[in-house]
Amino acid sequence: MSRLDKLLAGWTFRTATPTFEPGEVITAYVSERNGDGLTVRIGDSIIRVEDGRGAAVEDKIRLEVTSFDATNHVGTGEVVEVLGPDA
Amino acid sequence: MPEEPDIELSFRGGRLVSALPIALFIAWAIFQSGILGIGDTTGLVAGMLTGLIVGLLFVRGDWKDYADVVFAGMTRRVAATAVVAWLWAGMFAETIQVGGFVDGLVWAATVLNVGPGLFPAVTFLLAALLATGIGTGYGTAIAFTSLVFPAGLLLGANPVLLFGAILSGAVFGDNLAPVSDTTIVSAVTQDADIGGVVASRVKYAVVAATLAIAAYLVAGFGIPGVWGGMPYVDVAGEVSASVSPWGLVHLLDIAVVIALAVRGRHIIEAVSWGLLLAAAFNVALGAANLVDVSVGSMLLFSAPQNGLTQAVEALPLLGAVVETVPAGQVGVGGSVYSGAAGFFPLIVLTLLLVAGAEVMRAGGGFDAIQELVIDRVATTVRRAETTMVVGTALVNATVTINTAAEIAIAPYVATLGKRFNINGYRRANILDANTSALGYIFPWGGGLLAGYGAMQGLVGGEATPWFTAEMLVNPASVFPYVFHGWFLVAVFLFAAWTGYGREYVSDRTSEEVSRV
Repeated sequence: MSRLDKLLAGWTFRTATPTFEPGEVITAYVSERNGDGLTVRIGDSIIRVEDGRGAAVEDKIRLEVTSFDATNHVGTGEVVEVLGPDA
Repeated sequence: MPEEPDIELSFRGGRLVSALPIALFIAWAIFQSGILGIGDTTGLVAGMLTGLIVGLLFVRGDWKDYADVVFAGMTRRVAATAVVAWLWAGMFAETIQVGGFVDGLVWAATVLNVGPGLFPAVTFLLAALLATGIGTGYGTAIAFTSLVFPAGLLLGANPVLLFGAILSGAVFGDNLAPVSDTTIVSAVTQDADIGGVVASRVKYAVVAATLAIAAYLVAGFGIPGVWGGMPYVDVAGEVSASVSPWGLVHLLDIAVVIALAVRGRHIIEAVSWGLLLAAAFNVALGAANLVDVSVGSMLLFSAPQNGLTQAVEALPLLGAVVETVPAGQVGVGGSVYSGAAGFFPLIVLTLLLVAGAEVMRAGGGFDAIQELVIDRVATTVRRAETTMVVGTALVNATVTINTAAEIAIAPYVATLGKRFNINGYRRANILDANTSALGYIFPWGGGLLAGYGAMQGLVGGEATPWFTAEMLVNPASVFPYVFHGWFLVAVFLFAAWTGYGREYVSDRTSEEVSRV
């Protein structure tokens, strides 16, 4: 990313409930663990993952969105890769 | 950042009691400077000492642990950094001042026709520029209060408004400068690169600064009620008809300090070069009779009259810094001496305050607040961001040294932000803007105290003989006029609620942390 791009990024009003398309791969922190599963909150949108593959809260993961309900801002996803906590 | 020591403290009455030393100090500061109107920094030192002693009475178990925590706090690097910055900046600013820099500024303002109405807005812009260049808001507050503040008074600008404008400029630079310690802490603790952090915060700083300039113009030219209610000291008659422009050569040594600081040189190194250059200019200007300054203005031993001292006074070279005086006036003086000495009470206060913050950490006071906030308050992304803004602002409003406050609150901002996948740049921006803003607003804020320390140095100063103790701005009266600080907090409250500038981790991941 160039310096100019960095300067111009984010001059917008971003929604509290972002939407995602099935098949989209995103990076995100794990918000909560429930048993083997994970909850990932991106703003007030929630993506649930059944098999957390051992990722802990605040770990960064790569995640493929498998479904997303844009009305209720809830979706499901699968872990592609566990990147771990920040350095 | 050094690792925190492992000592934990237990307090009678629970973890929040560990906040008692700092809470008592704040109550003392409000009573002393807010209610009684006494802006005596050494009085605040007494308040913090009292707080630390009262805190000791509530410790369960070995009091030695409490003492160890106090020592651990006082030896923190952040405390040493503040001490060094103040000593060096104090000497430098005072040396430039005796070199006629204030006269030079008055001359420039007169030539460029900057009147008292325009002066606060221009001062804000110049202070913002300097602070962004050198990355220290405290240094800017000291330099501008020593140098530009008296010039503004001589032109008839309102002292309270002018002091507010200087502090606003310091806030701007502290927030935006890549070399600012608060900027670096914000980037490092939120796992974001410094260049990206600075680039992404322009969108907030510009909005707040635009509002602040407008506010200084409106207030400077005087809306009825605002102008009328302010204490106003008329010293405009003191402007000599023939002020010398020669003091402006000190812009060169200021430029040297800025250039070295921007290149990443240590503050001791950068300011020492500037100080040496300023001293050389002063000697040259004095020798050429362009400015009334000499070696003795920078360092002077006033010795009692006797045979030995009179012999030393008559010596070449050494005699230039020695004079013999009647017994009652014996002492050491000059800009190097008084510039550094002006900050002694503030330095002691800083060390004690950092100790108080360490007691609160070791006693679990910070943890108790975190648990309360995360589980009960921050339930949506808007409420989480609002909590980050208000929480950072509150901690910085209470802990005098804003870098210390920022280090304390940073882990909470990270935990809360990651829970809602708020981007590292956004987290760093919320953290730093509210840290920078609040450190310069309240009468116990470190930035304000630094500026006030410099102002006290003006009383009876060699370059400002007309400045009397009655002209000191009460530190408790300036808070409404630090416009940029208030607007910055307001912009972030607005941004948290509307989503202005919000980015998620999934939108853009911040790059690796790297030193610029």
